[in-house]
Amino acid sequence: MDDQTAIQRCRAGDKEAFRHLVERYQAEAVGHAIGILGNREDALDAVQEAFIDCFQALDRVDLTRRFYPWFYVILRNRCYKLGSGRKKREVSSADETEILAPTASIQPEDRMLLERALHELPAEDRELITLRHLDGLSYQELAERLEVPQGTIMSRLHHARKKLRDKLARFSFTGVSGD
Amino acid sequence: MTRVDCENVGRAAMATEDGYVSELSADQIEAHLADCSDCRGEVRELRALANLLDGQKRKQRTENIWERVEQHLPAALPPRSRSRVGRAFVILGLLLLGYRLLEIVPNRHLGLLFKLVPILLVIAAFSYLRENPFRINTQLTLEGR
Repeated sequence: MDDQTAIQRCRAGDKEAFRHLVERYQAEAVGHAIGILGNREDALDAVQEAFIDCFQALDRVDLTRRFYPWFYVILRNRCYKLGSGRKKREVSSADETEILAPTASIQPEDRMLLERALHELPAEDRELITLRHLDGLSYQELAERLEVPQGTIMSRLHHARKKLRDKLARFSFTGVSGD
Repeated sequence: MTRVDCENVGRAAMATEDGYVSELSADQIEAHLADCSDCRGEVRELRALANLLDGQKRKQRTENIWERVEQHLPAALPPRSRSRVGRAFVILGLLLLGYRLLEIVPNRHLGLLFKLVPILLVIAAFSYLRENPFRINTQLTLEGR
């Protein structure tokens, strides 16, 4: 079932169709929410609330556009709302907070430093950097998801990257010296 | 017009790397970088960081949250279409306007029943929407509670 069909069925009262949407996008949504909130438990709460908001707003979805970018706006609103009202959680394992997957392009210890530097960034900067570099979104796509002009994306991304570089330098991370 | 200074050139240079066409041309950027070693160094570092980040992947998650979501979905399905509600009120408005125009026609003899038409129209509209206008919504909560 494609997204448009699922949405139309939801509108007609078919709850199972909504299950399709949830199961199709939950993993991506949890990954994005961890990218903003920095931990899995808060991310799960935010994703749950976002899907409930989404269900109630399905009659306003534009069926000619893709579902997930529309849903993402709801999700990030939920994340920031949740993030502003909660204290930072104690996490029991690295898996709870990890944004990055292991890859051959980086040593595990360097990945941990990069992960740590990302977590030390403000949520907005972390969100922007991960959407741009991990998901490969263009400035236009970023502008749509974050609901700001592309020029603002350019400035914010530049400052976010400079902050990340400075944090990595503090950790004596040598991978971005540019030499 | 964007000034060609260190801040703007650094930002534009990285945006160009990202495929975004900034207000500074490639020639302006290159000319500034050729003259300014600080900017050259900064752009080199930021390019290295961007390359490092481009080589990373987001960790795949396997959570299944359907049960958590399903528990909190409203029982009433589907959510009422706003366009349907809006359409109903537009039609109601037009009918009431038509009624008002009829009402101001001089020498009309439409009887007592005619005076009940607006009330009947409103009752018909709320019946169509299956909405009780006197219902108190007890599910409203204040933000932060």
